[in-house]
Order: sequence, then structure tokens, then C-alpha cells
Amino acid sequence: MKKELLIAMSMVITVVVMAYIATLGGGLGPLFSDVRPLAKAFLSTTLDPEKPLFTAMSPEAVTAIVWDYRGLDTLFETAVFYLAIIGAIAIYRDVNEKVGLKGSGLGLSKIVRVVTKVLIPINIAIAISIALHGHLTPGGGFQAGAAMAVMPMLLIVVFSRYFLLELKLTKGLALAFRSIGLTGIALTVFLPIIIALVNGVNAYIMQNQMKVNAPVGLPAFIGNSLISGSLILYNVFEFLAVTFGFSVLFLLLSIEEDIVKDQMRGEVSEH
Amino acid sequence: MKLVKIIPVAILTYIIYIVFSGSVSTYDLVLGVVVAVLAGYLTSELLVSDVGKALSIKRFIWLMLYGVYYLTIAEFKAHFDLIKRILNPKMPINPGIVRTPYNVGNDYSVVTIANSITNTPGTVVVHLDEGRKTYYVHWIDVKAPDPKTTYENIVKAFEGYVKKIFE
Repeated sequence: MKKELLIAMSMVITVVVMAYIATLGGGLGPLFSDVRPLAKAFLSTTLDPEKPLFTAMSPEAVTAIVWDYRGLDTLFETAVFYLAIIGAIAIYRDVNEKVGLKGSGLGLSKIVRVVTKVLIPINIAIAISIALHGHLTPGGGFQAGAAMAVMPMLLIVVFSRYFLLELKLTKGLALAFRSIGLTGIALTVFLPIIIALVNGVNAYIMQNQMKVNAPVGLPAFIGNSLISGSLILYNVFEFLAVTFGFSVLFLLLSIEEDIVKDQMRGEVSEH
Repeated sequence: MKLVKIIPVAILTYIIYIVFSGSVSTYDLVLGVVVAVLAGYLTSELLVSDVGKALSIKRFIWLMLYGVYYLTIAEFKAHFDLIKRILNPKMPINPGIVRTPYNVGNDYSVVTIANSITNTPGTVVVHLDEGRKTYYVHWIDVKAPDPKTTYENIVKAFEGYVKKIFE
């Protein structure tokens, strides 16, 4: 009894102190009063056509850093993520998702199912909007893919995984779209080099705008619309790859355990 | 036939795309169309069974009227009733789960009425029996458990509008 009272008291005190700091106490305040030199350098160059050798032609400094200034770093981060997915696919290589297929009509009540169905086009609109504005506003390919991957997850929980298979979202299809996304990223990496080879000049891999001795720059505008050269391509392809990469995982992880075990033992399942 | 079904879903998606993006630049107006048609193509079979109904202006006006009625009158009445019960020192509640019938067939109608009931304070739909066309509703003040009383008090006000919107 005494112990519980102590815990309750300490929780109350913590909440009150935190609330005081956050409101009347004026918050913790910024750690440094000035923008630091590194941040200044990025902020003054991300969208500055006057500095063609340093700019990424994107107002969104985070995307500019992630896919342009430190692009190779992001490329290998993406590789790590896809190696994890490849590992999962390898473990499930012998499992046929269509064994033990049950019809639709499973799942939660009609109220939940209808509301979830209406959410699908809304989810698509919002996720693709995040992807297409990755070079303009916070967000980008990975975040958009994560937002889109909510949908297969939700459909599995609400309708059962058989519903996804009925919609033709099978492991094979998801893998194909994931591969298109990854191939797109790879092609975008080599795009400046291909252009440079055709024109007989130098270029770097993952180059976006022109650099010293490498005059190849991907177009920053289409008409009057800012597309920030390679950034929009990376965001869109990353969106595809992440959406369907997660979809593959969800599809595999939602297969019933006994079906997986039966198939891995090499027996034909008759569930 | 399938291509016509895309239109209502595409319109909805386009509006949501533009509102969420918060911009009416050429970039968004053009790409929004692409996204809307794509979303419509992927989901119209799931969502639309009757294009005429989905694009009917009359039904849309009834939907707007229902929105106004629901967000002002229905919500106000339910909140006011519940606030009275909360502030009353005797706390006059008589809670219970009652069966209440409904007379609509369409999926969207059933779900709209159920969500309308749940979203007004004091009543919550806890179960749906489609076979017997019955909601099981948790009601904070059970006046009487018979189907007639429950229908009059819980479902009737919403059903009139919803029939005109979805049926």
C-alpha cells in the first residue's frame, strides 16, 4: 500500500513538474541561441540558383541533405532496409501464401469494414501527396511509403489476409513493384553518368545539380513547377519500394503459423 | 461500366489530395488528377455499386443537410442531456444494453446510422446483427427496452435522412 502511494505521488509530481516547465516555466528553451555554422551553410545553399555549384534546388533542407548532400549514405541505409526484407523473404521462400485459402467475408464487423474501405482512396491520396511533395515540404519517399503501408496492414487486420489476395495484392506482385522502385533508385543514381557519357563530359554518381568539372545538372523545373532534379525521382521510387517492401513483410508475417510450419516441413497442408 | 465508377471516387480523392497538399499550383492540380484516377481505378469496384446514386446532386444535398442537422441539433441535444446528468448531484442514469431495429438495407446506410448513434454522447452501438436487422445499443437512460421505444428514441431521427442519402 505504502509503495503504491509512493509510486502514485512520484508520478503526480513528475507530471506537474513537466507541465510547469512546458507551460509557465517557459519551456527548456533552445540549446543554442544562434543557428550553427553547419546549418547556416545548408540553409543558405539548398535553394539558391545564384550558387549553382552548391545548391540542391530544393526548399526542403532535410530532403536536400538526405538525397543530395549525403546521398550515398541514404543509399546504403536503404540497402540495409531491403536486406532485412530479403532476409524475411528468404526465410519464407518455401511457403505458398495461397495454401489454406479461405474466402472473404471474414474479419471484423460490417461497420469497421465499410469505414476501412472508404479510407483506402483517402490513404492513397495522402501518401502519394507526401511522396510528391518530398522535395518541397517535410516528408518524402520513406515517410510516404510508411503511410501507404498502413493500408495493407489495416486490411489484413480488418478483413483478413485472404482479402488482399482477392485484391490480387500477392507476394509476387508486391515483390515486382518493390523491384521496380529499387531499380528506379539505381537508375537515378547512374542517370547523371549516362547523360555525361552521351555528352562526353564528367559526372559523379548520385549527382543532382552541376558541380565543378561535372556540368551535368538534372532539370530543377518543369515549366514553372519546382521538381528539384533527382530528388523527386528518388522520393517517388523510394515510395514505391517502401510501400511494397512493407506489404511483402505484412503478407508473409500474417500467414498462419501452422500453415507455415507444415509447408516448411515439406508436407502438403490441407487446412 | 467500370470506368464510369471511377468518377465519384476520383472526385473525392482529388478534393482530399488538394486539401491535404494545401496548394493549387499547376504541379498539384495536374498530378492530383493522376493520383485521383489511379485511386479511383484501384478502389472503385470495392466502393461503388451504383454510379447514379454516387453522383446524384439531390442525395448530396441531403448529405449536407444531414451534416448540418447532425453536427448542430442532434449533437447539441445529446450533449445537453448528458451535461444535465453529469452536473446533477443525484446522477440520474439508468444504463443498459437494448435491442433496436433498423429498416435500411444498404451497407453505407447501416454504417452511417450506427456511427451516428455511437458519435452522439449517451448511446454506443456495441454489436450489429445483420440477420435480424438489429443494433445492440448501450444507452445511458433506458426509457423502455421494447423495440418501438428504442427505435423512436435512438434510430428514427437519423434513419429518415440516411434513407434519402443512401437508399
